[in-house]
Amino acid sequence: MGSRMGMGVPKCLIEVGGRPIIAHLLDRLAGVADVRVVVGYDAANVIRRIKDLRRDVTFVVNPSYRMTTTLHSYVMGGAHLDAPALYMDADILFEPRSFAAFLAKAGAQPAEALIAVTEAKTQDCVYAHLDGRQRITRFSREEAGPYEWANLAWLPPGLLEEQPSAVYERLAAHLPLQAEPVVSYEMDTPQDYEQLKAAYAGFAAQA
Amino acid sequence: MRTGFAFDLDGTLTLEELLPLIAREAGLDEEIGLLTRLTIDGTLTFASSFKLRFAILKSLPFAQVQAATALARLDPEVAAFIAARPDQCRIVTGNIPQWIDPLVQRVGCGLYSSEASASETHPLAVTRLINKADAINAMRADFDRVVAIGEGANDIPMFDAADISIAYGGVHEPAAALLEVSDYVTYENRALCRLLNMLS
Repeated sequence: MGSRMGMGVPKCLIEVGGRPIIAHLLDRLAGVADVRVVVGYDAANVIRRIKDLRRDVTFVVNPSYRMTTTLHSYVMGGAHLDAPALYMDADILFEPRSFAAFLAKAGAQPAEALIAVTEAKTQDCVYAHLDGRQRITRFSREEAGPYEWANLAWLPPGLLEEQPSAVYERLAAHLPLQAEPVVSYEMDTPQDYEQLKAAYAGFAAQA
Repeated sequence: MRTGFAFDLDGTLTLEELLPLIAREAGLDEEIGLLTRLTIDGTLTFASSFKLRFAILKSLPFAQVQAATALARLDPEVAAFIAARPDQCRIVTGNIPQWIDPLVQRVGCGLYSSEASASETHPLAVTRLINKADAINAMRADFDRVVAIGEGANDIPMFDAADISIAYGGVHEPAAALLEVSDYVTYENRALCRLLNMLS
């Protein structure tokens, strides 16, 4: 909801490089036919903005967003789907090449779950601990490590189930799960936002 | 699981509102245009709007009204979805059957509508104004799950009664109040039909 950002707009509409962050995400998904966006806070405004960016998005309305977790939104987004799908938060900036590499790796083994991890850097870090075969064996909020959960995952149908917990807690029930590092920046706090903007400038310079 | 699909007609299944087509026939474009806008945005209740339009249009013979509504263009993707499974689909509309019969025949599925007494050539009085929720409840006799697709404020009761509700903005922006009772919102006919296929 962007409340900790103190900007009064949904986080997915906060601008980076002159465009809402969701516009950058939709760029990453240009080759994906079926894109769904779960909307809750300020839904009418979010829908209006996103449909002008990409008209064939399917919006999934979550009226109880104030009382539910992101896991609930993930489950809603994947409802009635009998195929694997890519799930992600909408307040993240992905480095384009690493996102494309993640998609390619997921597509190569579509029946297997693939969980994105990124270099630990956010204030609200959920650390992902990996074994020697690059599999996540444990999530932890307390015990630090080089990687954090990147809030991006390729998941087979039925793996996510409704329960009042966070997405990573649900994933923890299925460990070990294959991990794939990506370069990404999430924003929960103004400090995260500063990091993200600096990273965007770097991506733009690379391009 | 057997799934039924309830489609609003004007501006969901048709690419244009029917009333302006009829109004053009009657030379009442401007007046009916105002009525349509007030109804779509929910300022005028569907019941009042329907009474007014009925009063205006009942002087027109059925043949003339049908000639106008028969010209309505159908959304090709949505029409193809229905044509592939007519037994699972119903049109749910506030119109009376005598105004839209050739159009409904063209779509080729069942109809829930308002009803009017009539002479051979003209309607006389509205005998039943549809509550779209009744149509959904009637469909429950044939289906385990009912999906509603619409765009106007008069679709709210239908959305409330259905298991899954889809607001469709392919022709114009769905009524703001409809968002409150929608599970999905789509703006593009292929996205809508992808969703419908997933649910069928």
